[in-house]
Amino acid sequence: MSAFERALLVAAREIAAERRHPDGLVAALTFTALLVFLESLVLGPGRAREPASASALFWIALLFAATLIANRTFDRELEDDAIDALLVIGGGRDALYAGATLAVGLVLAIVAIVGGALSIVLLDLSVSLAGHLALVVALGLLALPTVIVLATLLALRVRARVALVPILSFPILMPQLLASTQGAAAALSGDPNAALGWSGILAAFALVYGVLGLTIVPAAIE
Amino acid sequence: MIETTAAPFPTIRLRPWLGIAATAAAVLATWMALVWAPTDAVQGDVYRIIFVHVPLAWLAYLAFVVVFLASVGWLWTKRPWFDAVAASSAEIGVLFTGLFIVAGSIWAKPTWGVWWTWDPRLVTTSVMFLMYVGYLLLRSVSTDFERRATRAAVLGVIAVIDIPIVHLSVLWMDSLHQLPTVLRAAGGPALDASMGMTLGVSVLAFTLIYFALMAERVSIERARQTRVLEARR
Repeated sequence: MSAFERALLVAAREIAAERRHPDGLVAALTFTALLVFLESLVLGPGRAREPASASALFWIALLFAATLIANRTFDRELEDDAIDALLVIGGGRDALYAGATLAVGLVLAIVAIVGGALSIVLLDLSVSLAGHLALVVALGLLALPTVIVLATLLALRVRARVALVPILSFPILMPQLLASTQGAAAALSGDPNAALGWSGILAAFALVYGVLGLTIVPAAIE
Repeated sequence: MIETTAAPFPTIRLRPWLGIAATAAAVLATWMALVWAPTDAVQGDVYRIIFVHVPLAWLAYLAFVVVFLASVGWLWTKRPWFDAVAASSAEIGVLFTGLFIVAGSIWAKPTWGVWWTWDPRLVTTSVMFLMYVGYLLLRSVSTDFERRATRAAVLGVIAVIDIPIVHLSVLWMDSLHQLPTVLRAAGGPALDASMGMTLGVSVLAFTLIYFALMAERVSIERARQTRVLEARR
């Protein structure tokens, strides 16, 4: 079995577990929806509708949603010591990281689609460049799980893991958050060049984080 | 296999000399910064804080690059000395980054009229500071020696990405902060010769202080590691 097949198998297992007990997805969706409502309540509908505010809140919601999903994924791995069985297989560490990243990314994509649709409908956002927005969101979602899963693995089996994951991952994700927020705001307000420029930066960060993650993260998994 | 009895670390012999050299350089740098360097035509004497602020920035970068190199060293060789260097440099780096932000804030009040502004350089530096606080937090919550060292090393490698972002943020984004004055892509330093010389001596003094502190801190960390690893036998 190739490394890619092993990673797909781990991802399929995670997705199957999430389908049976979708508590990670439900928590992330509820949290994202809550944030959309709180945003328009706190800022007022006028300011919440501004492209910069709407996209910033959307990506911050996705950041926290990603930590919820990743934590729930690894809670399941730690229950009944499922993770230990996986790690004794040759190439299990790489498969665990890549598979978990893929699974978290897929669940996060659902949260992004639902959360994005909710923001567009409830905040009555006008999307000037729908294709560009989809590109920014897709590329933004590539980098997020690579770092969130990395931080979750670093904090695995330590006290205060839930608090530690955002502390470790959010600073690393600062450029990604900036690029995805600016890119989404540009797509909402109809600036194709800016949206494509930020998309290029997002693709570069996704590549760097993905390669770094696959190169060194397996070493940190015990 | 973890090495428990390391060969004597060369800083043990260098330590007193480093301390003496750092003190002498700091005295000279203080005199040059407060007396010898001329008053700035625009900012007056307020500008003199750059003789502290810029070396602190340099040390913040240096300390975190050392964390990166030592982290790679640990992942590559599993020698505890590398972990001791990474831990020590991260602590000193956090200290210097904190001082760097405070010094910048003291300069900002008379110059910009505010203690803090949402400038990309200030924000990215503060995020870098918090990133390495997170690094120290990660170290503090792990109890097993090897596990802690490996986890911290992975984070130490990834976190280095933030250093170029901090330095280049003033070029990439609209910024109130002045552009790089010494490490410029185009041409040499944009400073008066005597100011540049004073800045050079200050940077040297702070670098010596960093190495003197590192020598002490690494020695403490190595003693702690030896205790932990021998207790585990």
